[in-house]
Amino acid sequence: MSTATLTPAGRPDGEPAAPAPKGRQRILPPPVTGQEMVLIVVIALLWLALSLATPAFFTSGSIVPLLVGMTPIALIGIGMTIVIITGGIDVSVGSIVMVCSVIVAQTMVGSGLPLPLAVLLAVAIGGVLGLVNGVLIAYGRVHAIIITFGTLNLFRFIGLQVFDSSTVEGIPRTLNFFGRGEAGRTLGIPHSFVIMLVLAALVWWYLRHTAGGRHFYAIGNDQQAARLAGISVRTRVLMAYVVTGLLAGLASCFVLAQGTSSLAANVGSGLELAVIAAVVIGGTSIIGGRGSVLGTVLGALLVQTVATGVTQLGWRSQLSDLFVGLFILIAVGADLIRQRTRRAS
Amino acid sequence: MTTPQPDTPSTPTRLSVSGVSKRFGAVRAIRHADMAVQPGTVHALVGENGAGKSTLIKILAGAETADTGTITFDGAPVTISSTHDAMALGIATVYQEPQLFSELTVAENVFTGRELTRGGRVDWAAQNAKVVELLDLLGLPARYATATVGGLSIAEQQQVSIAKALAGDAKVLILDEPSAILTDREVEVLFGVVRRLTAAGVSIIYISHRLDELFVIADEVTVMRDGQTIGTHPIADLSVRQIVELMVGGILDDARPDRTVPPGDPRLELRGLGLTGHFHDVDVDIRAGEIVALYGLIGSGVAEIGATVYGMARATAGTVLVDGEEVRPRSPREAKDLGIALLPADRKQQGLFSFQPISFNISAGHLPLLSKLRVWVDRRREREVARSMISRLSVKTPHERQAVSALSGGNAQKVVLARQLVDRPRVLVLAEPTQGVDVGAKEEIHRIITQLADEGTAVLIVTSDLAEAIRIADRLQVVRAGTTTAEFGPGATQVDVLAAAAGAEEQQEVTA
Amino acid sequence: MSTQTTPGTEPSAASGSTVEPTAGGTESLPAKVLRILLTQRIALLVLLLATVLITMSQLSANNYLSAPYSTSYLAATLINAVPLVMLGLAELLVITSGRGGIDLSVGAIVSLTGMVFGFAYGEWGWSLSTAIVLAVVFGGLCGAVNGALIAYLGFPALITTLATYYGFSSLALVVNDQRPINSQPVQDLYSTASAVSLPFLPEAFPRIPLGVFTFLIPTALVVWLVLARTTYGRRLYAIGTNDVAAEWTGINVARTRFTAYVAAGAISGLVAVVTVAQFASARPDSGVSGNGMALPAITIAVLGGVAITGGIGRVAGVVLAALLIVWLNAGILLAVPGNAGSQFQLFALGVVLIFAALLNGFSNRRYGGTS
Repeated sequence: MSTATLTPAGRPDGEPAAPAPKGRQRILPPPVTGQEMVLIVVIALLWLALSLATPAFFTSGSIVPLLVGMTPIALIGIGMTIVIITGGIDVSVGSIVMVCSVIVAQTMVGSGLPLPLAVLLAVAIGGVLGLVNGVLIAYGRVHAIIITFGTLNLFRFIGLQVFDSSTVEGIPRTLNFFGRGEAGRTLGIPHSFVIMLVLAALVWWYLRHTAGGRHFYAIGNDQQAARLAGISVRTRVLMAYVVTGLLAGLASCFVLAQGTSSLAANVGSGLELAVIAAVVIGGTSIIGGRGSVLGTVLGALLVQTVATGVTQLGWRSQLSDLFVGLFILIAVGADLIRQRTRRAS
Repeated sequence: MTTPQPDTPSTPTRLSVSGVSKRFGAVRAIRHADMAVQPGTVHALVGENGAGKSTLIKILAGAETADTGTITFDGAPVTISSTHDAMALGIATVYQEPQLFSELTVAENVFTGRELTRGGRVDWAAQNAKVVELLDLLGLPARYATATVGGLSIAEQQQVSIAKALAGDAKVLILDEPSAILTDREVEVLFGVVRRLTAAGVSIIYISHRLDELFVIADEVTVMRDGQTIGTHPIADLSVRQIVELMVGGILDDARPDRTVPPGDPRLELRGLGLTGHFHDVDVDIRAGEIVALYGLIGSGVAEIGATVYGMARATAGTVLVDGEEVRPRSPREAKDLGIALLPADRKQQGLFSFQPISFNISAGHLPLLSKLRVWVDRRREREVARSMISRLSVKTPHERQAVSALSGGNAQKVVLARQLVDRPRVLVLAEPTQGVDVGAKEEIHRIITQLADEGTAVLIVTSDLAEAIRIADRLQVVRAGTTTAEFGPGATQVDVLAAAAGAEEQQEVTA
Repeated sequence: MSTQTTPGTEPSAASGSTVEPTAGGTESLPAKVLRILLTQRIALLVLLLATVLITMSQLSANNYLSAPYSTSYLAATLINAVPLVMLGLAELLVITSGRGGIDLSVGAIVSLTGMVFGFAYGEWGWSLSTAIVLAVVFGGLCGAVNGALIAYLGFPALITTLATYYGFSSLALVVNDQRPINSQPVQDLYSTASAVSLPFLPEAFPRIPLGVFTFLIPTALVVWLVLARTTYGRRLYAIGTNDVAAEWTGINVARTRFTAYVAAGAISGLVAVVTVAQFASARPDSGVSGNGMALPAITIAVLGGVAITGGIGRVAGVVLAALLIVWLNAGILLAVPGNAGSQFQLFALGVVLIFAALLNGFSNRRYGGTS
C-alpha cells in the first residue's frame, strides 16, 4: 500500500520529519529541486573541465560574454516557464523579439529615442503581442501550440513589413547600458544579467509563495479542477502569455544592445526553440504543473556554457546544438524516471 | 441502522430547487426537477444513468446554470452562476473523479482557490494547521498534509477531496458516488464523517448507485427518472426494491434464471496464482458453460486477478491452465490468441474509442480476423459483424457508423462487450460488467452473459457489486486480503457473503 | 498520467443524459449547411479553395494581377505543394498516433538525409534508385530514433523531436563542414523537377511538375491506403483515440506508434530527394532555414482537420489544405509583387491556421464535436 511508503514532502536538514503539533513542519518542497542541484553540479563540472582544457575560459573576457549571451534566453525563459507550467507553450517568442527589435531599432534611427522610451516601447509592443496570443488561447480554447504557430507567422509578417528592406542600418548606441562593452557593466558585472536575475528572483518568489503563483501550477495539473476550485483560469492563462510577451520585448532590447549597428531580418529566428530547451533542461515538465524559474536560468546557463565551450575548444560551433539536444533528452529522461519511481510506490 | 427522522417543523428548508430545467443543444438533460433538502440531514439522490442527477448537482455546484426554475437557500432565492457563487453560499461538491492537483501538496489542494494569505503571501503554517485538523476528523495522519497528492492512492485522494470540501465551512455537501471507489473500511470512515457533519447541522446530498447503503446513511431520498424528479420519500418508507421500481418506472422481475452447468473438466484453472503486492494463493476453476464470480471489495486484489489472467500483469507465483494446459500470457495479445477475452472495468478509460464509430469499436479487437491477409481490413465483414452484434445485444443506435460517444452508458458498455464476443472466446473475464450502467441495460447484459455461458464459454466475473455476483453466478468466491477464501453456491445470501468478505470466519465449505 | 489525458474535454451533456444523434428532419437548410461546413473539414476546405480560385480568377480577369492566374500557372506552382503535402502527411501520421504526437524534426531530417543522399549520389557515384532507397532508409532510421524514445520509452513527442531537431540539423551542418554538395550528378537532377505534359491528354492541358507524379501522388496514395484500408490504419486511429483502451484490446501500442514515426522519417527522406533535385544542390540547411519545413507541415496538417489530440485526420484534408495554401500563395505573389508578396504569404498562413483552429474549437462546442 502506498500509505506505508508515504513520506512528508519536505525533509529539511535540521528539522524532524515527524509531524510537529502546530504545523511547524515544512509544507513546501525544498526551494532547490533535485534536478536543479544536478544542473548546478553539471555546470560546475563543465566550467572546471573547460578551465582546465582552455586557460582562456575562466577569464572575464570569456565569462562576461557568456553571461550576456544567455540573458535573452533566460529572460524569455522566465515567461515561458510560467506558460509551460500552465500546460501551454509559446513558439512565437522569436517573432515577438523580431517585431520589437525592428520597431525599436527603426524608431531609434529615425528619432533618436532615449533609452527609457526605447525600453518602454519594446516592452509595450511585446505585451500587446503577448496579449494577442493570450486572448486567442484563453478564449479560443484551442491548443496553444497551434495558436502560437499561427501568430509566429503573423508576427513575422508584421516584422518583415516594418523592415521593408532586408536590414536596418546605423542603429545608435542608445541601448549600450545593456550591451557587451564597458558601458554595459558595473564592477565587471553585466547590467543585463543583473536585471535578468532580479526579475527571475521576483517571479520565482511569486510562483512559490503567492496564491496567484500557485494557481498557475493548479491550472497545469488539472484545468477543469482549477476552474471548479474558483480559479479564473482564463485570466491566469492570459497573464502567462502577456508576461512572456513583456519579457520578450525587454529581451529584444538586450539583443539590440549586444548586436552591431545593423539589424538583419533573421533576428530572433529559432530563438523559441532555444528558450524551450532551456526551460525543459531546467526541469519544468512539458505537460504542465511543475517547474521553476531557477531551473530555467540554470538551463539557459548550461546551453550557453556548451556553446561557449564548443567554440573555445576549437570544435565546430554547430556541434553545440547536438549537445543541447542531448541535454534535453537527458533532462526529460530524468523526469520520466522520477515520475515512474513515484508511481511505483 | 436507526437514523432518526429529524423533526423539522420550525427550521426552514436549507436548500430547495423547484422547476429547474436544463438542455444541452437538442438534449433535455433535466425536464423538471424539484427537491428540498433539510438542515442536518442526508438527502439521497438516485436515478438511472442519464436521469439527470449529474446535471442537477452541477447546477447546484455552479458548474452549469439552469435554464429555468428557482433555487432557494435558507428561504431566500439565490442565483448560482459560478462555482464561486456556490462556494460563497456554502455548497461544496466532491465529484466522483477526484478533482485534485497531483503536483501540489494535500494542504495546497485543500486551499486552492481560497488560500489563507498574510501580507500577499500564502500563510503556509496556518493552512497546514487547519488541514491537520481536517485530516484528524477524517482519521488520516497529520503527515499527509505535506504529501504530494500524486503519490497517494485513489481512495486517499478521495478523502483529500472531502477534506477540501469541508475546509470551506460547507453548509451543504454534495457527495457524487463517494463510495464507488472506496473499500468497505473507508466507506465506514466516510459514514462516520457524514454523521458527524449532519450532527453539526450540515446537509448532505448523497448520490449513489449502491442502494443498500442509502438505508445505512440517508434520511430522505429523491428519485429521478428521464430528467424529472419523481418524488421525495423518507427512506424508512421504502425498500431497495421500491426504490428500483421508482427508478425504472415499473415492476422489476428479480427471478434468478435456473441454470444447470454441464459436467466436465475445468476450462480455466488458477492454481496458487500470485502477484506480489496484490494477491496470492488464488485457486479458481471454471468449467465450460459455468459462470463464476470473484467478489471482493476494491483494494482486495480482485481487480488484479482478472488483469493477470488476461496478460496485463505477469503472475509472480502459481499457474494458469486453459483446458488443462499451462499458459503464461505475457500480453493481452497472447491471451487473446489463447481464447481469453476480457471486458475491462473502466469503460471510458480502458474500453471505448469514444469518437470512433460503433463498428470501429467492435472490430478494433479483431483486426487480424476481419482482414484479408492480415493487412487489408475486410470492410464488408466488419460491417456485417457490427450489425449482427448491434441486433444481438440490442444496442440502441440508428446505424453502426454512430460514434460511441453519443451512446448512453449502457449501450456503450454493450459495444465494449460486443468486442469480446466476436470470435466466441473460450474464457471470458468480465471486470465490473455493469458498473455505471442503468438497470434496464444491466438486465440485458446479464442475459447476454448467461447466453454466452450456455454456448460453452467459461465466464469469470470480477466484481465488487455483491447483488450482481449473487444474481448471475453459478458459484461465487470471496476474495479477501488478496486471496480466495470462502466459496458459495447459488443459494447464498448477501449477509453471508458480506460477512465472509469483511472477515467473519464462518466459512461455508463447498469445495468443488 | 491517467487522470490528465483530456482534462475538461468531456462534453458535459454526456455524463448526465443520453445524447440523441442530431435529428435530420427538424433542421432548417441554412442550419444544416452551416453544420456540415463546421463539422466536415473537407467540405469547408473545398469551399475555401473554390473561393480562392474564383476570387483570384476574377482579379486576374480584371487585370489586377501582375500576371495571369491561369491553369498553367497554377499547375507550375504545384511544385511547392510536393514537399508541403508529403511532410503534412508525415505529420498526419504522427499527430494521429496520439498522446501529444508531433514531429518538429522533419525539417532537420530533410537536411541531414539530403546531405547523405548528396554524398551517395553526388560523390560516391551510387545509382539514383539505390541512393533514393538509401535516403528513405536513412530518413526512416532518423524517425526510428524519435519513435523509440517516444513510443517505447514514453518521452513527450514535442520535446523529443525538438531535441532531435537540434541533433539532426547540427549533424547536417557538421557532416560536410557547412558546404553544400552540388556536383554534376546532383545538378542534373534538376530536370526531375521540371514540368511534363501528360500523354493521352489534349495539348491545352497544363504541364504539371514531374515531382507531383513521381513523389506526391504515390506518397498520398500509399498513406491513404494505409490509413483507410489496412489494419495498421485502424490500429493507428485506435491508439490515437485512446491508447489505454487499445492496450486492453490487445493492440501493440508501442510498435504501432513507433512505426508512425519511422514512416514520418521515411517520408522526410523522400522529401530530401525532392528538395535536392529542386535546388540542384544538397544544402546542409535545406529543411531548417527560415521557419524550416516542420512548422508549415504542422500548419497544413492542422488546417486539414488533423486533431492535435490524436485519432482524427484524413489524407484528403491534408492534400486540400496544402492546395489551398499553395494556390492562395500563388495568387498573393501575383497580387502583391516583389518581396511583400512572400511576406503576405506568412500572413495568410498564420490567419488561415488560427481561423481553422478557432473553428475547430467552436464547432466542437456547438455540435458536441468529435475531439
